[in-house]
Amino acid sequence: MKYKPFITALILLLFTSCEEEDRLFSTPDPKACGIDFENILTETDELNILDYLYFYNGGGVAVGDINNDGLPDIYLTGNQVKNKLYLNKGNLQFEDITEQAGVQGNSSWNTAAVMGDLNNDGFLDIYTCAVVGINDFTGHNELFINNGDLTFTEASKEYGLDHDSFSSSAAFLDYDGDNDLDIYLLNHAVHTQESYGSSDLRTKRNYATGDKLLRNDGGHFTDVSEEAGIFGGVNGFGLGVSIADFNQDGYPDIYVGNDFHEDDYYYLNQGDGTFKECLKDAFAHISRFSMGNDAADLNHDGYPDIISLDMLPEEETVLKSSEGDENTQMLEMRINKLGYAPQFTRNMLQVNQKGENFTETALLSGVAATDWSWSALFADYNQDGEQDLFISNGIPKRPNDLDYIKFISNEQIRNKLNDTRLIDQKALKMMPSGNHYNYVFEGSSTMEFKDRSGEWIRKDTIISGATAIADFDNDGDLDLITNNLNRTPTLYINNASKTSSYLKISVRRENGNTHGTGTAAIAWSKGIMQYRALYPTRGFQASSEPILHFGFGQEKNLDSLLIIFPDHTFKKFKEIPLNQTLTVHWDDVSEKYNYAQYPGNANPLFTPAPDNFGLDFIHKEDDYLDFNRQKLIPYRISDRGPATAIGDLNGDGLTDLFFGSSKSHSPVFYRQSENGFQKDSLSGFNFDDKCEEVSALITDLNNDGMNDLITGNGGGDFYGRSSQLQDRILSQTSTGFNASILGETYDNTSVIAEGKDQKGKIFFTGSHTISYDFGNLPVSRVFRWNNGMMTAIDLPDNGKLGMVTDALWEDLDKDGNDDLIVVGEWMAPRVLLNKGDSFIETKFANKSLFGLWQSIASFDMDNDGDKDLVLGNWGSNSKFTASSDYPMHMYYADFDDNGRTETIVTTMKNGEEYPLESMDELAGQMVGLMRKKFHNYRDFAGSDIRKIIGSELMEKATIFTVTNLRSGWLENKEGSFVFHPFPNDLQVSPITCMLEYDFDNDGNTELLTAGNYFGVKPFQSRFDGFGGALIHDQNNIIKGSETGLDLFNKAVRHLNIVNIDKKPYLLVTNNNAASQLYTINQTLNDL
Amino acid sequence: MKKTLFYFGILCILISVSCNRETKPVEITAEQMHISIDRVVDVMIHDIFSPPVASRIFAYANIAAYEIIAQSDPEYNSLTGMLNGLEAIPKADSEIINPQMAALMAHMEISKSLIFSEDRIEMYRDSLYNVWQQADETTFLASKDYADKVISHMKKWMDKDNYKQTRTMPKFTVNSDDPSRWQPTPPAYMDGIEPHWMKIRPFAIDSSSQFKPVPPPGFSMDKDSKFYEEVMEVYNTGVRIVNDDSEEVAIARFWDCNPYVSVTRGHLMFATKKITPGAHWIGICKIACRKDKADFNKTVYAYTKTSIGIADGFISCWDEKYRSNLIRPETVINQYIDDNWKPILQTPPFPEYTSGHSVVSGAAAIVLTDIFGDDFYFDDDTETPYGLPVRSFSSFNKAAEEAAISRMYGGIHYRAAIDNGLKQGRLLGNFVIKKLDMNNREQLAEN
Repeated sequence: MKYKPFITALILLLFTSCEEEDRLFSTPDPKACGIDFENILTETDELNILDYLYFYNGGGVAVGDINNDGLPDIYLTGNQVKNKLYLNKGNLQFEDITEQAGVQGNSSWNTAAVMGDLNNDGFLDIYTCAVVGINDFTGHNELFINNGDLTFTEASKEYGLDHDSFSSSAAFLDYDGDNDLDIYLLNHAVHTQESYGSSDLRTKRNYATGDKLLRNDGGHFTDVSEEAGIFGGVNGFGLGVSIADFNQDGYPDIYVGNDFHEDDYYYLNQGDGTFKECLKDAFAHISRFSMGNDAADLNHDGYPDIISLDMLPEEETVLKSSEGDENTQMLEMRINKLGYAPQFTRNMLQVNQKGENFTETALLSGVAATDWSWSALFADYNQDGEQDLFISNGIPKRPNDLDYIKFISNEQIRNKLNDTRLIDQKALKMMPSGNHYNYVFEGSSTMEFKDRSGEWIRKDTIISGATAIADFDNDGDLDLITNNLNRTPTLYINNASKTSSYLKISVRRENGNTHGTGTAAIAWSKGIMQYRALYPTRGFQASSEPILHFGFGQEKNLDSLLIIFPDHTFKKFKEIPLNQTLTVHWDDVSEKYNYAQYPGNANPLFTPAPDNFGLDFIHKEDDYLDFNRQKLIPYRISDRGPATAIGDLNGDGLTDLFFGSSKSHSPVFYRQSENGFQKDSLSGFNFDDKCEEVSALITDLNNDGMNDLITGNGGGDFYGRSSQLQDRILSQTSTGFNASILGETYDNTSVIAEGKDQKGKIFFTGSHTISYDFGNLPVSRVFRWNNGMMTAIDLPDNGKLGMVTDALWEDLDKDGNDDLIVVGEWMAPRVLLNKGDSFIETKFANKSLFGLWQSIASFDMDNDGDKDLVLGNWGSNSKFTASSDYPMHMYYADFDDNGRTETIVTTMKNGEEYPLESMDELAGQMVGLMRKKFHNYRDFAGSDIRKIIGSELMEKATIFTVTNLRSGWLENKEGSFVFHPFPNDLQVSPITCMLEYDFDNDGNTELLTAGNYFGVKPFQSRFDGFGGALIHDQNNIIKGSETGLDLFNKAVRHLNIVNIDKKPYLLVTNNNAASQLYTINQTLNDL
Repeated sequence: MKKTLFYFGILCILISVSCNRETKPVEITAEQMHISIDRVVDVMIHDIFSPPVASRIFAYANIAAYEIIAQSDPEYNSLTGMLNGLEAIPKADSEIINPQMAALMAHMEISKSLIFSEDRIEMYRDSLYNVWQQADETTFLASKDYADKVISHMKKWMDKDNYKQTRTMPKFTVNSDDPSRWQPTPPAYMDGIEPHWMKIRPFAIDSSSQFKPVPPPGFSMDKDSKFYEEVMEVYNTGVRIVNDDSEEVAIARFWDCNPYVSVTRGHLMFATKKITPGAHWIGICKIACRKDKADFNKTVYAYTKTSIGIADGFISCWDEKYRSNLIRPETVINQYIDDNWKPILQTPPFPEYTSGHSVVSGAAAIVLTDIFGDDFYFDDDTETPYGLPVRSFSSFNKAAEEAAISRMYGGIHYRAAIDNGLKQGRLLGNFVIKKLDMNNREQLAEN
C-alpha cells in the first residue's frame, strides 16, 4: 500500500520516457538545464485583468549569440519579476549571468525582448519593451548595449530609445537601405471606451499608444512615423508585427496585427523612405482579435504568406460557451459606416498571390481555430522541405465565457455597484480557466496542415506566450523556447536532424547591419524552391536566433542557393553539401539582384479592356438581409444575381448585353455599336423595376428571326404569391417587345438553359428555393415553345429536383437528344435522359456526391477526347465540413410549431453531431425550445444535436445531406463517371461559373472557372480569395491571378465571351460590383 | 446569507408542521404572494428578460390568480369580457377548494411556464406545497386540481396572443442610410429588441395604436430646429451633471431599471443586471400593499390591475418605437457633436421614441393611485438589492414624473419622448382603470 504511489510514479516515468523517445521534440526540465526563470504574475485588487487589459499577455523572450561562441543565449523578460539572461554553455546547459551582465531591467511591467546589433559592433544588443504610464507602471523601454565581455550598458536615453509608452514589441529592419537597423516600435492602445469610433482615429497621432517608426541616424533614433506614413492612433491595439518583403521589390514591408476592432496594418515600403498602408486593397478579410503573427513562404512561390492569430477555440464545449462573432448587421455597420475591414474571430492564413493580394485559407488549411493563441512561428521543424507551424497558447482566465458574462458575473458584483471597483479577486475566480496546450502543425505541399500536437510535442496545461526559435544544441534543427506564465519556460528540443537534412545559414558583415537582418535566401532542390528571409522579430513579443534554416528531407546536397543581401547584392552557390552551418559574408560584391526578374508574372493572357468599351454596369444589391427573416438559414439566397444575357436584341448583328437587377433598381440593356456599348431601352418596354432577374437568356424563342429575352426571377425577398417571382418572356416583334408571364410559378429561379433535341429547342428553368421557407423544394421545369405557347414536359419528382443552381444540356447517350444534368445545393448531380417526350433519371453518381453544387460545365479534362463533367462546389475553405463518413446535415421542420419552418445545420466533430449555430442564434428562432431546456451555455456547449432538439422533434424533420464540398470533375469512363477533386487552390471559395473557350487560340479549349461568395454569417467569414483558374487540363491549371484577371474579392456570377468588332472579349459579371471586360491577348501564344 | 435564512425559515416551518399532525386550516397570506412575485423577479433578472417580455409574464400570472379570487370573493369582478379574448375560467366545483391557495398555485405555475429557469420557482413552490399538503391534504389536492384546470384554461388564452408567432418574425433591419433612423448603440451594439411587440394582443386596450402619441420633432441638425434643441438639451444636461454627485445623477441611476448592462474591459466582459421598469413598479405596488396592509385578495387585485397597465403600456410604447424608429441621443451626439460623449446610463437596445419608462410609469401610477389613492407617501426601497438607495415620494404620480425625467438625466431620451411618453402612459392608465371594473367595494357598501 505504502509503495503504491512510488510504483505508479515509476510506471508513469517509464511511459513518459518511452513517449518522449517518439516525439519530434523532447522537453527537458528547464531547471536541470539551469533555467529557473519564472514569470510570476501577482494579481491584486489594484492590478488585475480589469485594470490592465493585457494583464495575461506574459513576458518576452529573445534568443541570440551574445558572445559569438556559436551558441544561442536566452534573454527572458518578466512582467513584474526581473528579467534574466542565460548564457548557453553547450550541451543544453545554461548559466544565469543576469547580475554580472546588468540586464535585469528597471521597468515595472516588461513586455517584449528583442536582440539586434544596434551599434554595428558585431555583438547583439538587447532591447526590452515596457508598459509605462498606466496603473502606476514606471520605467521605460531599455536598451542594453553589449560590451562584448558578457556585460551590458543600459543606453536607451543616449540612443533616443527610452520610450515610456505602452510598448508591446519592437522589430528591427533596415527600411531605408542605409545599412543600419531601424526600429518599428509596436505600441498597444488601452482605449477602454466602449464605442468603436471611426476608423479615422488611426490618423490622429498619440504618443502613448501609437506605433512608431524609429530611424537609426548614426546611433540616435529619430521618430519618422509621420513622414514615413505610419499610423499612430489611439485605437491601435498592436500585438503582432512581422517584417517581410511581401511584394518582392527588395524593400522590407511591415504587417501589424491589431487587437479588437482596429484593422491590421499592411505597410508596403515605397523604397523612398515612406510606406503605403494598403490593407484593404490586399486583404479581403482579416482576424478580428489579432494577436501574434508570422510571415513565411509556405507554397514555394517566393512570396511570404502570413498567419495572424486570434482566439477561436477548437474544442466544441469551449467554442459554444465563448462569445463568438458579431451579427451581420453590426459587421456591415462597422465596414460601411465606420470604415473598418471585414474582421472575423479566427486565425487567418493569408496566402500571398505574387505580392498583389492575399487569399485566406485558414479553414481549408486546418489552422483556423487554436484557442487563445499568442505566438505563431513557421519553420521546417521536421525538415521535410515544408514549413510547419508552432502556436503558443492559453490564458489563466477566460474573460469571454458566456456563462460568466451573462449569469455569473452579475451575482458576484451586484453588491459592489457603489464601488468604483466593479470586480474583485473573488469574481475573477469564477471565470473558467483557459489553459490550453500549445499546437504544432505539420505543413504540406497542399497548404493543408496536420495537427501534430501530442505527437511532436507533449500536450501540457502550461500557459505559454512569447516564443523564440533557436538551435540551442547546435544539431542543425530548430528548437523552441516559450516564456510561460507562473512557470519556468518550456524548452522544446528538436530531434529532426537525427533523420533528416538541414542547411543553416548565418550572415556576417564587418560593419553596419552586422547580422544581415533582411537577407533573403532562395534554395532550389529537385525543382522545388524554398524561400527564407532573416527578420528575427517574429511571433509575439520575441525575437528568434538570427539564422536562416532549411530542411531537405533525405537529400544530401542542395542544387543551388541564392542569397540576396539587404542592399540587393547577391551571392550564388551551387551543389552545396547539406547538414552544415554556412556562414555567408556580406562583403563587397557589386552586382545587384534585379527584382523585376523575381519569380512572378509573365505577360498576362488577360488585360482590362480599354474604357471597358463604354460598359459602365454596376450591380447594386439591395439591403434585404435573409438572416433577419430566416434566422437559421445557412446562407443567403437573395444575392445570386444579377442575370447576364448576351445576344443581338436589335437585329444589327452586334452582340448586345442584358443585365438583371436587384429589387429597387432596373435591369439594364446595353446596345453595342461601333462606339462600344451604350445603355438603351428595349424599344419602349418598361421593365418592372421591383423584380430581381437572377438568370436570363437571349434566344429566338419562336423562330421568327428575332431574338427574344427570357428572364428567371428570384431574389429571396419576395415571398408567397408575389408576382415579382414570376419568370418573364419578352418576345420581340417588328414593333417592339411584348411581355408575358412564363407560367404561375413563385419560386426563386436560378438558371435558364437552352438545349436542343430532334424536336427543336428545349428549355430548362431551374428553381433554387422558396422564399421564407428554405428547405421546401421548389419546382423546376422543362418546356418547349410552340406557336407562342409553352408545352411543359414532365420531370421526375414532379419537377422537385432539389435546390437547383445550374444545369447543362448535353447529349450523353448520343441519341440526338440533349440530356439534362442538374446540380444544386444539398443534392447530388442528377442526370435526366431525354427520351423525346419524357425524362428518365439515370443513376450515375455514387452516394458521396451530395454537395452544395454551384455550377457545371462539360470539358475534356484528361485529353481523352470525351467530355468530362466539371462541377463547381462550395469548396473546403469553410466551417461547413462534409465527407461520406462525416456528412453535414440540415434538418428542416417547424420545430417550435409556430407556423414557420426553420433549418438547423449540423457538422460532425470527433464522431458527434453538433449544430453550427450558437445557443443564442438557435434561441433567436426557437426561444422556448432552447431556453427552457438550457439554462446556461455550459450545458448546451458540446451537446449533440439529438440532445439539443430531442429525438422526437428530429424525427419530424426532413433531412438534407452533404457528403462532399470540394469542386472537381467527373471523369467520363465510357459513360460511367468517377469523381476527382481539384487541388486546393480551387477549393478556397465556391466556384460559381465556368466558361469553355480557346482563350489562348492554340486550337484546344480551356475552361475558365471563377467564384467567391459573401452571403454567409460572420462566423463563416466570407469566401473572397479565389482569383479564378484557367484549366488547360487536369495537370495544367493556371491561377487566375497569374492570367491577369482581377477576380480577387469579387463575387463572380457569370463569365461570357462577347464579340466586339469581331474580336472575342471576356465579360465578367459580379454580384454587387461593376462588370468587367477583358481583352484576350491571344497573340502572346506565338511568343 | 439571505438564502441560508430562507432555508432556515422553511426548516422551522417544516418542523412545526411535522410536530402538529392534525389537519388545520391553511392561511394564505399576502406576504406569500409578495414572495411569489419576488421569485419571479429574481428569475427574470437571471434569465435576462427584456422589459416588454417581462411585463407579459407578470400580467398573465397575476390575472390567473385574480380570476380565481374573483370567483369566490364578491368584492371582485371577473375580468372576463374586459380583457381581450379572455373567457370565463372553469367554476370551482368543490367546497373544499381553498381559492386563495389555488390562486397562489396558479400564480406560481403560470409564472414558471413563462420563465426559463424553472428550478428557481420550483424551490419556493415545493416548500409551500409541502406545508399545505402536510396541513390539509384534502384541501391541497382539491385546490391543486382546480388550479390546474384554471392554468390550462389560461394557457389556451395566452397561446393566442401572438407571442409564439412573433418569436420567428424578422429581426429589426438596421437602415443606416437614413440619418434619423435608430442604430445599434455601444457597447454591445445589440439588435433592436422586440420589433414586433405591437403585434402582441393587448390586454385591456383596443389596439396597440390606441394611444398613439404625436410624432416626435422631425430629425434635423439645423441649429434652429426643435430636434436639435432637444439633442443639445440632453448633451448639455449630461455635460453639466456628469462626474457629479448631483441629484440628477442619483435620479438617473435610481430609475435605470436596465435588465442587462453590458460592461467591456478589453477582452473581459461582464454584465450588471437589474430589474425592468415594469418590475420596479410591481415593486412599488408591493410597497403600497404592505403599507395599506392589504389582504391577500386585495394584493392580488392590486398586482393584477397594475401589471395590466404596465403590459399594455409596453405594447403601446413599442408600437410607437418601431413606427417613429428614432435615433438615440448617444448616436446623434457622437456623430455630430462630441464623439467622446457617453450617456450616464447605458443606452437600451431599441428606438428612442417614446420613453418606455415614461409610458409605463405614467400608466402604473394612474392605476396605483386609483387603488390606493393620491397623496400616497411611500419610501421606495425597490432598488436596494441592486446597491441603490431608498427614495421617497409623496405620490405615485410624483414618482412617475421623476422616473420619466430620469431618462433625460441618464442621457438616453430627448424631452419629447419623456413628456409625450408620460402623457401616453397616463391616457392609457386612465383608460385601463375606467375599462377594468374590477372592484365592487363601493357598490357593496351602497347595497
